[in-house]
Amino acid sequence: MKNRTIARYEGTLKVTGQARYEGEMMPEGLLHAALVESPIACGELQSLDASRAAALPGFATLVSHEDAASLKPSAATALIREKAIHFHGQPVALVAATTLSEAREAAKATQASIAARTALTQMDQALDQAYEPAMVGRFPAATRRGDSAKALSEAGLVVRRRYTTTVNNHHPMEPHAVVCWWEGNKAVVHTCTQAIFATRAIIAHAFEMPPVDIRVLSRYLGGGFGCKGQLWWPWMFWAMLASRKTNRPVRLELSRAQMFTLVGRRQETAQDLALGFVDGRLTAIEHDVVAQTSTHAEFSDSTAVYTRFLYACPNVTTRHSLVRTNEPQPVPMRAPGTAPGTFALESAMDEAAELLGVDPLELRLDNFADHDQENGRPWSSNSLRECYRVGAERFGWAERRARSAAKDGRWKIGFGMATTLYPAIRQACRARVALRADGSLLVQCGTQDMGSGTYTALGQIAADALGLPMDKITVELGDTELPDGPFSGGSQVTASIFPAVEAATAKLRASLAGLATTDATSSLGGKPPEDLEFADGMIRSRSGNAGERLTDVLARAAADGLEADGESPATDHQQLAATGMGYGAIFVEIGVDAALGEIRVRRVCGAFAAGRILNPLLAKSQYIGGLIGGIGMALHEQTVTDAATGSILGKSFTDYLIPVHADMPAFDIAMIDEDDPHLPGGVKGIGMLGTAGIQAAIANAVYDAIGKRIRKLPIRIEDCL
Amino acid sequence: MSSASFNYIRAAELTDALARGERAGAAYLAGGTDLLPLWKASLTAPQDVIDISHLPLATIIRAGDTLSIGAMARLSDIAAHAEVKAHYPLVCDAILASASGQVRNVATMGGNLLQRTRCPYFRDAGLACNKRDPGSGCGTRHGENRHAVLFGGSPGCVATHPSDLAVALAALDARIVVSSDSGERELALSELYPLPGETTAPDSSLRPGEMITAIRMLNAARFSNHATYLKIRDRASFEFAVVSVAAALRIEDSVIAEARLAAGGVAPLPWRLEKSEAALIGRAPTEHAFAEAGALAIEGARPLEGNAFKIPLLRNAVIRALQTAGGHS
Repeated sequence: MKNRTIARYEGTLKVTGQARYEGEMMPEGLLHAALVESPIACGELQSLDASRAAALPGFATLVSHEDAASLKPSAATALIREKAIHFHGQPVALVAATTLSEAREAAKATQASIAARTALTQMDQALDQAYEPAMVGRFPAATRRGDSAKALSEAGLVVRRRYTTTVNNHHPMEPHAVVCWWEGNKAVVHTCTQAIFATRAIIAHAFEMPPVDIRVLSRYLGGGFGCKGQLWWPWMFWAMLASRKTNRPVRLELSRAQMFTLVGRRQETAQDLALGFVDGRLTAIEHDVVAQTSTHAEFSDSTAVYTRFLYACPNVTTRHSLVRTNEPQPVPMRAPGTAPGTFALESAMDEAAELLGVDPLELRLDNFADHDQENGRPWSSNSLRECYRVGAERFGWAERRARSAAKDGRWKIGFGMATTLYPAIRQACRARVALRADGSLLVQCGTQDMGSGTYTALGQIAADALGLPMDKITVELGDTELPDGPFSGGSQVTASIFPAVEAATAKLRASLAGLATTDATSSLGGKPPEDLEFADGMIRSRSGNAGERLTDVLARAAADGLEADGESPATDHQQLAATGMGYGAIFVEIGVDAALGEIRVRRVCGAFAAGRILNPLLAKSQYIGGLIGGIGMALHEQTVTDAATGSILGKSFTDYLIPVHADMPAFDIAMIDEDDPHLPGGVKGIGMLGTAGIQAAIANAVYDAIGKRIRKLPIRIEDCL
Repeated sequence: MSSASFNYIRAAELTDALARGERAGAAYLAGGTDLLPLWKASLTAPQDVIDISHLPLATIIRAGDTLSIGAMARLSDIAAHAEVKAHYPLVCDAILASASGQVRNVATMGGNLLQRTRCPYFRDAGLACNKRDPGSGCGTRHGENRHAVLFGGSPGCVATHPSDLAVALAALDARIVVSSDSGERELALSELYPLPGETTAPDSSLRPGEMITAIRMLNAARFSNHATYLKIRDRASFEFAVVSVAAALRIEDSVIAEARLAAGGVAPLPWRLEKSEAALIGRAPTEHAFAEAGALAIEGARPLEGNAFKIPLLRNAVIRALQTAGGHS
């Protein structure tokens, strides 16, 4: 497996507009859909009056909870089967019409009568009603090792602080869309999803039909970041019901405003953190997280989970609790848990370093965990110390004291650093490769490309395994007709597809080798298989001057080409011999105008160690994209609920600020090679790493610049004045 | 006709536009950078949209010490105009701090002055807003009000005016030429923007059918050596001002002979800081004088729960703008 830079497989298709996104499907007879939204945040739907809507031009149908009653009850259908109103903007019906504007008019003309109840619109209105969920993701919600209370009482230094993070929305560039139709009892669903097979399975469950009768396609995605998942399903189901009712294809696309309410959010957190030190070594950590979830579903980020792993510490207690509010439901959002969690932990470590009078980087090195203390296992590999060293060197951390007192015009300069981490996990995956007589290779896997490079990675792994150039490779993904692939989330697609494609290509190599070496007419006849290598479209002998083109082998012995399937299992967390974790060290230089409160990030150096990097160009792009998202979380992004109504305020990009080009710092990305013997192919995920750590690094740099410790996100003008 | 539809009327000439504009439900379309988003969000539902973007109202005339800018001139054209840059740099600074390059290429000078507030309660048809729906109340006053006014608010409205250009023009005492079917009138920029009432908050004092046709500045080039527009915002570009300050000084023999200060993001209109101005006259442009002007700028500020930070911010912004404007000749 080579580490090499290959440009995007689908890059030309995208920049020339030839890549067809699923929402762009325009089948004959298409109806357009719009949603009727609840104007209140809590209550019960009494009735729907569509008489005015039905009289409007183009009106085709209306679907509501009454139609959804035919669907099988589940978490995915609850919102659309029931009459309860849980949040402001919750759809109460879908209207389909000939044109989009007619659909919107009909939706506006539909009268919903709702009996209102008092809404709880903000987490801090009900902190006393917080409860503990059983799990946070795949981790227990509460853990305890040692006795942190005792250790804190005996510590030489205790840092005890509250850190808060706000609500963010994912906002991929492409909003959610579905274009669906029925062919008899079969359903065809073109939709934006990070998980085509899970989508197919939930449709099969809801409509009580065999999965093979459902085809879900998601061949290109304009981003996902965690929101193109289960919260989209109810509205997609309504579109499918409208299609079934009218016997016409139906298209529903969310507006940007609806992206604030209907498809998830990063939950708000209030985190109480206590660190205890004796002689500069952590002796106790307590990390208590309170976070928001909705009244109709439960979700908790694994916010305090990373606190269990990152540092060596004998006494660690972590807890998560949730408060239900009449606000939209949270879901994982890029760097789920680890972004808000490291903001608290890595800010507190910086505060501790200050109080202990040691360099923040030294404090982290002194408290490095040389194994997974939570599970009592070794690390599969851990190059965090190398990340610290390389990042510090490239950034110039040693000049911190001299440089950070400096000013540049109106800007006071500050340096800050923090750690990022994310677990390396895999899902089960199947892949198919088919070598055609002309020497071209088709690679198929039912996963998705969120825009991060899965097409390229799939093609590259197969090309390298068979010694083929990329222009001989065709990649197909995003279609449930293909072998089951992983969902796009948790930074695990590359790690999951790698062993499956390797297995498939290994079979293909074995078949080809067999055909060549058992054929007396081949110059490779009689050579042992282990002597063969695949390169430049040929099978060659390593030991002797012999070789044959793949096309010649095929022409002679397999004129129809050859196919092979490969599969790989999911990570079995119970059976792991070693804990796999990717790491990074983030160093930032910021400027703060202390009189005007403005903050600008000037420089970011990220040094990352995440196993084997298949394609440095894609990886660098992923890291930078992640860091930009992290800058947004640190300084800009904030979803605000109006307390009186429960309505989300400013549902547009005018009000929901994300970083623009002028906010971009200079990025320096260092990738540390890791050879991880425990992970298949040595591959760890990289997608999340850039988005965590940087928030704390920025907050720590603000402190360095102006001496103000800011324990909330986003950090804004008013915090720095 | 559905509320999403309107009659698109391309005005043949100015008189045609003015005749049509008087009718109820008419709206003028210039650059469309505000009208169309408002329409899309169902915040306005004009019957007749009268396209005036092509009317010959984009000329820039400099005659003697008067500069006249046609209302239909594009922001980007004014910002790049050699004479405006040389003699009225404050106007160019304010324009270049506005929106994005793409928006500035389309948006017009007249339209910029009439853009509607960015208050999120105004921009959401489901929320109470006296400006959008007189008598419906104000969601901002006791809601999320980081963006709200410090000055000139009423119990019925605390929304700010969003224009950067208007702040610069206010500092330069610009005058607005307004045309209607019955003729032309001229008013001071400050007269264009009424203060909000108890249950109403009109955007402008224009009467139905009136159109801004030109912006005039008299003898404003005298500030060209000592003028600056300072805009403070959460990100580096493409955001409305949290607070902004236009500062223009005329310095004679190292003494401030005239001072003009206007603030944005703090009031329903560009807020002239007259006390600060007065305190600077006859003083040397020193830190001490600037600090005094900054302190006077915030007198009478009435913050709400979420926007008190704008008080020190405004003070500091006035001082910084004066330092910049007074710092070079």
